[in-house]
Amino acid sequence: MTQNSASKLLNGDALHRTKQDKKAGGNGFVKNRCLFQQKRCRRPAEKNHHASCTLLYKKPFVESFEETPLLVAVLTYIGYGILTIFGYLRDFLRDWKFEKCHLAREREEQKDFVPLYQDFENFYTRNLYMRIRDNWNRPICSIPGAKMDLVERVTPDYNWTFEHTGNVLKDVINMGSYNYLGFAENTGTCADAASECTVKYGVGVSSTRQEIGNLDKHEELEKLVARFLGVESSMAFGMGFATNSMNIPALTGKGCLILSDELNHASLVLGARLSGSTIRVFKHNNMQSLEKLLRDAIVHGQPRTHRPWKKILVLVEGIYSMEGSIVRLPEVIALKKKYKAYLYLDEAHSIGALGPRGRGVVDYFGLDPSDVDIMMGTFTKSFGAAGGYIGGKKELIDYLCLHSHSAVHATSMSPPITQQIITSMKCIMGEDGTTLGQERLCQLSENTTYFRRRLHEMGFIIYGNNDSPVVPLMLYMPAKIGAFGREMLKRNIGTVVVGFPATPIIESRARFCVSAAHTREMLDKALNAISEVGDLLQLKYSRKNRNGSEGTDCFSFLESHQD
Amino acid sequence: MNVGVAHSEVNPNTRVMNSRGIWLAYLLLTTALHVVLLSIPFLSVPVVWTLTNVIHNLAMYLFLHTVKGTPFETPDQGKARLLTHWEQMDYGVQFTASRKFLTISPIDTCEHKTCYFYTKYDTAHFVVNTGSLLSVLLPKLPQFHGVRLFGINKY
Repeated sequence: MTQNSASKLLNGDALHRTKQDKKAGGNGFVKNRCLFQQKRCRRPAEKNHHASCTLLYKKPFVESFEETPLLVAVLTYIGYGILTIFGYLRDFLRDWKFEKCHLAREREEQKDFVPLYQDFENFYTRNLYMRIRDNWNRPICSIPGAKMDLVERVTPDYNWTFEHTGNVLKDVINMGSYNYLGFAENTGTCADAASECTVKYGVGVSSTRQEIGNLDKHEELEKLVARFLGVESSMAFGMGFATNSMNIPALTGKGCLILSDELNHASLVLGARLSGSTIRVFKHNNMQSLEKLLRDAIVHGQPRTHRPWKKILVLVEGIYSMEGSIVRLPEVIALKKKYKAYLYLDEAHSIGALGPRGRGVVDYFGLDPSDVDIMMGTFTKSFGAAGGYIGGKKELIDYLCLHSHSAVHATSMSPPITQQIITSMKCIMGEDGTTLGQERLCQLSENTTYFRRRLHEMGFIIYGNNDSPVVPLMLYMPAKIGAFGREMLKRNIGTVVVGFPATPIIESRARFCVSAAHTREMLDKALNAISEVGDLLQLKYSRKNRNGSEGTDCFSFLESHQD
Repeated sequence: MNVGVAHSEVNPNTRVMNSRGIWLAYLLLTTALHVVLLSIPFLSVPVVWTLTNVIHNLAMYLFLHTVKGTPFETPDQGKARLLTHWEQMDYGVQFTASRKFLTISPIDTCEHKTCYFYTKYDTAHFVVNTGSLLSVLLPKLPQFHGVRLFGINKY
């Protein structure tokens, strides 16, 4: 039984592995040769299968997605039901002119034509989103650092129009910006270097990369990024979204297979669709699902002709921004090597935020960067700039230089932004002569652990890996989405809340992004406010053991077994 | 908050009936309707059962088989605009767990008890109940997927 608890420590979720030895089937022939098998029986596992999975993971991989309590789910549906009924009522009143209609309508003369808009497609926007619209698109009038200034808005007609009062809400604690290492600042070496660069190069590039827009700064940046990641060469693009959506079509085409995770970002999905390849989706972070898809794909080949696929590309992200989960990279690499597929890793949120040296999820797991065929990432999150990069072998990057849509048609990166990335990257690597980068990395990981631990102890349901700086806090009910955003703003803390249809219908959440710029007292202030609001709105749904860490649990468990 | 920004689910409507707790919520709502009707003093028990059956089937017909499209814009350029919610469920795959549940529940909870027991086999009640049941069972058959009789509710 102690084996079971040990396996729970290593894999916090219910992913069990049976023996890697083959099991003989009914008529003696061997059935499952999968690397990772589904859980079959509840016998305590033997030692040798632990060897196979412990070898891949050098430290415990603890992820939790606590299930929605049933009562909360039922109440959430009732909430949406009431909102729907009121929505129909308000639509009726608007139609019959009892209530003023703020929407775009067709002109009177065109009333008998075929309608331009479908009223029902807008139902959610006008009846649910409009009611709590003041939680989004809040104008910021300072740098989005650890604290920011918000423009105060009032609405005379329930969020249909906003007016600025002229006041500014000062020093709102920023828990929503992707400012993981705190490089969003207007003072310091990065800002000075960027302003010098603006003076020398100007702001605009006025050309695409292939024509006249290739600056020496870009070449410098690319060499630096390649050194940072540990790959042969890299290429930088002006926009992170465009990096994904414009490069995947250059890499795959008809006759190729793309296996993408369920919760991949819109840019990856768009890129996959634009490429024209067959797309198959595997369950989020589920290695059995991925393996099954790979095996089926290789065995059956292309859909009708059954010819072998030209290539198979697995699309995963480093940290999934809505769930806070980290990809199971060691297992993905093991699968990719076994089935000879290619791996495209999108490190938008994890580059600079994970790993002891800040080199992303590959560094976090201690793996070899050359195992990942295409390493993609963005400079928006941890480097305080904009744009994206792709890193890999020299042949790959040379090919992309010629064939990527972004390189051929899109303007290249602006010079001050390039300089900002160069300076911040050198800072993280420690090459600017200070230990500032290392301090920030340590501060971020301390802040993450502290923040998650405190929230967990308070009794909130938090999704995701214990090491990810993205912390989704579950709200569930539609009214609480609006209430949480507004109450937090009253307490001078700015948060990002998300609801249906961006998330599954019952899983609305508030998403916090921990930053290295947050000091311990800022986090304490935020945590106290969250606890207050949590008590007010009754958000503390968690029913797991909250006292102490897992170490205490294991210890007391072993203690009781020694009797 | 737009569809498709956080996950690659093109039409979230397809997954609603599979979410956690929705079957329970549906059953609770039907029971609540029945209890509310039972508390009206001048209605007798057989009438209340028939009324529950009829109102439940009417609501189910309205929400699952009349209302078309999605209340939000989807990134698939409107493939589901002309489909009712029943046809959108699980992207049109037939005989999934939710479909089976929603087919059996009007038969079991409402029809079984009202027709055969509480109305004491009265002819009028039987006709009303069976008619209402048929109106909600026929659209669920796989053969009726996408069928619009007499052009009603086509666009």
